[in-house]
Amino acid sequence: MWIIECKNLHAAYDRRDLGIEEKEAVKGVSFTIESGQNICILGSNGSGKTTLLRAITGMVPYSGEVLLDGQPLQKLRREKIAQKVAVMTQLSQVYFSYSVEETVMMGRYIYQEGLLGRPTKEDCEVVAESLEAVGLKDLAKRQLNTLSGGELQRAFLARTLAQQTPVLILDEPTNHLDLKVQAELSEYLKEWSKTPGHTLIGVFHDIPLALALADELILMKQGRILAKDRKETILQSKFLTDTYDFDVLQYIKSMANPTGDF
Amino acid sequence: MKTTTKAGVVLALSLGVLVACMGIGSVNIPIPDMLTIIKAKITAATIPTNVTPSYVSILWDIRMPRAITAFMVGALLSVSGVIMQSLLQNPLASSYTLGVSSGAALGVALVVVLNITIPVVGFFLLPLAGFIFGLGTVLLVIGVARRLDTSLKNQTIILMGMVFSLFVNAVLTMVSAMFSQHIQRLTLWQMGSFSGRRWTHAGLLAVVALTGFVLVMRYHRELDLMSFGEEQSMAVGVDTKQTKKRLLLLASFLTGVAVCFTGIIGFVDLTIPHVTRRIFGSKHRLVLPMSAVLGGGFLAFADLLSRTVLSPREIPVGAVTALVGAPFFLYLYFMGRKGDASCG
Repeated sequence: MWIIECKNLHAAYDRRDLGIEEKEAVKGVSFTIESGQNICILGSNGSGKTTLLRAITGMVPYSGEVLLDGQPLQKLRREKIAQKVAVMTQLSQVYFSYSVEETVMMGRYIYQEGLLGRPTKEDCEVVAESLEAVGLKDLAKRQLNTLSGGELQRAFLARTLAQQTPVLILDEPTNHLDLKVQAELSEYLKEWSKTPGHTLIGVFHDIPLALALADELILMKQGRILAKDRKETILQSKFLTDTYDFDVLQYIKSMANPTGDF
Repeated sequence: MKTTTKAGVVLALSLGVLVACMGIGSVNIPIPDMLTIIKAKITAATIPTNVTPSYVSILWDIRMPRAITAFMVGALLSVSGVIMQSLLQNPLASSYTLGVSSGAALGVALVVVLNITIPVVGFFLLPLAGFIFGLGTVLLVIGVARRLDTSLKNQTIILMGMVFSLFVNAVLTMVSAMFSQHIQRLTLWQMGSFSGRRWTHAGLLAVVALTGFVLVMRYHRELDLMSFGEEQSMAVGVDTKQTKKRLLLLASFLTGVAVCFTGIIGFVDLTIPHVTRRIFGSKHRLVLPMSAVLGGGFLAFADLLSRTVLSPREIPVGAVTALVGAPFFLYLYFMGRKGDASCG
């Protein structure tokens, strides 16, 4: 069953507010994502990966068709989208400080009702589980403005997890994270995606991590999809080299074995 | 200190300021006499003979409505400031940034210089003109911003607001120059004053403040989320465009009403939200009510200073808030920058 279907999707990244000409970042792509799959989107800077993620979640205007779980995205209310898809976007500045726990609780927004929107027992349990998952349980009461970049990243990831959606969309989730946390997070995401019906879609710059997580890869270049296939097939093709304009696999091998001794 | 204790202290302080506003002035009224007069007025009983008769009209007809008006205006401006800052993720944002006050000032100026009168509206004409022009300016700002940037990004709105403010201020200056016989009145109005405010003003402001507050409180969770930015709030399910539009209109309405009753009073909506967040954290469930109380108390206190410091002369209250608020805001802003979390 397809959870996301895109047909002839065009999307622009609107920067007219900064005096930059509107640029079409995604140029007529069509693809489907099956429920329960792990998809990693790879491509060099400016290839349209982030805009593609934003378009398939309705965060930027687009033309073409996007179906989420069979329904046209443009007809869905944000609340409905947020019940199916949790998105962790690249972080911007934090101007007003909240505690880590308060921030993660915001992921429960769609579940809270009433004027004061008090958290239920279930909300608190989910928040505690999400904090545990990203290893921030001990920092629950800390203010965001006292956290390191990596801790802040994890707090926002926990908020995404607290949404409890079948689809998780992550835009470079391992930015700012040290190696140990990256490894833990990657293990957690692998476990998360094992649950039937859980679909993980991520944009990664870290190719080994993407290979470790993905069932399928989408390779993007200049706003178009160069290839979308199972990772084993992609690895045996020239597509990775074409995507980055250099021999990526050779580079990864040389990095793993810098002395060339074995 | 526990949140409830902090809230208790803020409430007690604001109440203390209100009592001081009613008691202190050219004639000082003792608290027992104040209580007797208020009780008698509320229960429609006869004022006891041991209370000096002049106290009754000074307290009930002059100081109480004036103090309550100042309190309500402070509350409205502060709540509106909280909304603007959170919506625009900008600690320097306020209704002034969006041109509400400049627009309101122009509206009032036009009514004064053109000597417009509408019998049905009566003395509400000036406030009404201020509100309509303030709201009109902000709608224009949002409209033009949307045409230039469909996603209504924050920088676009702030820049548009500033451009329109400058433009409207220039028109206002031209109007003042062309009709120099009104220049004194217009200048005073531009500095804000609570002088001559009666129960009609206080009552109407109280109704607007309470209704507005309940409407704004409905959005306290959305305000929490939107203070992280539009993308973040959209990701967890907030209809960002709609919510932003409603809250901007609501904030403009609150400011428009406040400004049109008293003139332009700056720095309350910039400073008070900061102070409130410092004391109570950023959750809007607390920030909104507490900034209303703190802002109300602050403006009532500023009004007390405005009419007592150079008594019998009165300083425009806008000048007092600017004198106290500007350096305080500068201090808060530069001290606060050290603690801001930013990454990426």
